[in-house]
Amino acid sequence: MAAGTEIAPSAAPLARPRTLLVGTAFATGAAVMFFGALFALYFSVRNDTLAWGAEWFPEGAIELKPGGSLMSTYAMATITMMWAHYASRNEDRIHGYLALGLTALLGIAAVNQTVFYFNDIGLPIDHSVATTLLYVIVGAHMVMTGIAVLWMGLVLLRAFGGQATGRHQDLVISVSIFWYSAVAVFTVIWLFIYVAK
Amino acid sequence: MTDTSLETGDATALERVVTSTDANTLGRYWLGAGSLALLASLVAGVLVALERLDLSGAEVFGSADEVFQFWSAHRVSLVLLAVVPILVGLGTAVAPRQVGTDTVAFPRMAAFSFWTWLLGAGTTITGFLIDGGLGAPDAGGQRQAVALTMVGLLMAILGLLGATVSLLTTIVAGRVPGLTLRRIPLFSWTLLVSGTFWLLTLPVLAANTVLAYVDLRGRPAVRFGAEDAIWEQLSWAFTHPQVYAFALPLVGIAFDVVPVSVRSRLANHDVVLALTGALGVLGFGAYAQTFFDTPGTPIMREAIYVVDAFAAAVVALALVGGLADTLRRGAANLGGRPPAPMVLSVLSMLLLLGAGVAGALRAVDPLDLLGTSATGAQMTLTIGAALVGAMAGTLWWGDRIFGKSSSQGLGLLAGLAAVVGVLLVGVGVVLVLVGALGWFANGIKRLTGAPAPADPWGGHTLEWADDPSSVEVTSERPLLDARQTEGASA
Repeated sequence: MAAGTEIAPSAAPLARPRTLLVGTAFATGAAVMFFGALFALYFSVRNDTLAWGAEWFPEGAIELKPGGSLMSTYAMATITMMWAHYASRNEDRIHGYLALGLTALLGIAAVNQTVFYFNDIGLPIDHSVATTLLYVIVGAHMVMTGIAVLWMGLVLLRAFGGQATGRHQDLVISVSIFWYSAVAVFTVIWLFIYVAK
Repeated sequence: MTDTSLETGDATALERVVTSTDANTLGRYWLGAGSLALLASLVAGVLVALERLDLSGAEVFGSADEVFQFWSAHRVSLVLLAVVPILVGLGTAVAPRQVGTDTVAFPRMAAFSFWTWLLGAGTTITGFLIDGGLGAPDAGGQRQAVALTMVGLLMAILGLLGATVSLLTTIVAGRVPGLTLRRIPLFSWTLLVSGTFWLLTLPVLAANTVLAYVDLRGRPAVRFGAEDAIWEQLSWAFTHPQVYAFALPLVGIAFDVVPVSVRSRLANHDVVLALTGALGVLGFGAYAQTFFDTPGTPIMREAIYVVDAFAAAVVALALVGGLADTLRRGAANLGGRPPAPMVLSVLSMLLLLGAGVAGALRAVDPLDLLGTSATGAQMTLTIGAALVGAMAGTLWWGDRIFGKSSSQGLGLLAGLAAVVGVLLVGVGVVLVLVGALGWFANGIKRLTGAPAPADPWGGHTLEWADDPSSVEVTSERPLLDARQTEGASA
């Protein structure tokens, strides 16, 4: 380089807020509203049915154990997701891969448990208004879990490509927002459908 | 412009069309497809209006079920396949520029959303045409076709949701430095408010639709999918107050167009921000479902609904007052011929006020207007206002979006025909169709028009700047600030 010649530094890119997080927050809000609508319908119709003195679910039809097992699975997956977030913040790749992989595996396990239980439940979807609502809510939640698992797979792929380091935490945080929402929705399902029936 | 489509060198025209992720191009797609759906919707409306005239010898439909199917097709397509997509199109093309960027956030998702919506719109219309629709009072539709209509509706909702997420993220996260949320142009602000409420309510409509679809498929329906019950659980999305949330961007269009037209600043920018936010809140209609009726008291007779109706009218009146104040202060600058977009945007605001008043009167119990044609009139006025506002918006920003000029006179005539048609309600849909055809023809004419100047109006906001990143933003009207600073220093 000739003496006295200086290369002007290139202009810094415009400071953008965290686009992926903002988009995820909007999308997750929409997904939560979808379930909010289904829950509102569930409680409203249930209230009307019980007010008329009619039966909601047949006695003993919804067992406590499968719901509890599912809730435990989602609770464990919440912890592993926190682990993934912590590992990402500390740029600990190995733990990050492990935690994300485990969370995805627990998500798949939850879907598997749900399918197994509903094959065994003995309540056809057209048994009553209650069972129709039950199948729609649980089915929609399985779809939400499936989307979260796919998203985690994508994040894992990008992590292997070196994009989920401490400087790129948005990937892990965004999938965790969606995952925590899925767990929150399941908590409502567990409390008010599996437990309170 | 950022475009992640296939390299133009090897790609065919079809490949370029399908893979484009450019915000301006996607905006044009939404506008084009939405206006075609608008024409289809209005044709359905005209057929229903002819049937209602009870002309002897003009047996348009074979049964009451068919009348209902076309009537519901008209309503659903007017909102979800026409007016909202047209507003999304305007937003996709204009809002990124208004916040100082040249692309939408998640461009591939934005493109995917458009194509999903388009496929959904086509499926919905097909479902209606093959004796489907959203059920019928006498359960006269074909079950498979009804299911197909609902699949189409779900796809259309999914597409609108994806486009909205992309648009809102652009507005929130894509702003240039200095452009705080309080300073973003009012069209972008109203898109942000209304888009937020679309994200809160369209999933509710989707949930209702999924429930009906699951109940309908493959077995006798238990309740939700019974063909005489489907419309009942979906109709809240196409009436008061939800229609306000769909129509809200028209307010932003008016408040962006009028101050520039009269070369004046808006006196109470923050008040308008608050009022449009309030109208968005009042437009949240997901609670007004028949499922949430208290036994013996329909939701429409409950206090929340009545208060909502009156508050919306008051907010609409305040917004019209703000617009009138701006017009009064800038009247001296207006000249002999006010610009066509300004005339149409003012008229759209007056229609919105009319809708607010109709909604408030409808909620007065002693008048007993619930269940009468007042319900349809209120919806027609609101969605009609949004349509006229969108017409004003395309005339205003069209030169920037398409790079070609159109006929302002034809645009004005088309808009006026639509306004008169909306005011006549019922059979007025014929005039609305004439107006929409004129608007569509003007759009086609624009494609072959003369090159348009970059800033034909002397705009105040960033979408009119050649390089938004070079503009210092210190208020909600950065280009006007720059001109005034230049004028002062000269």
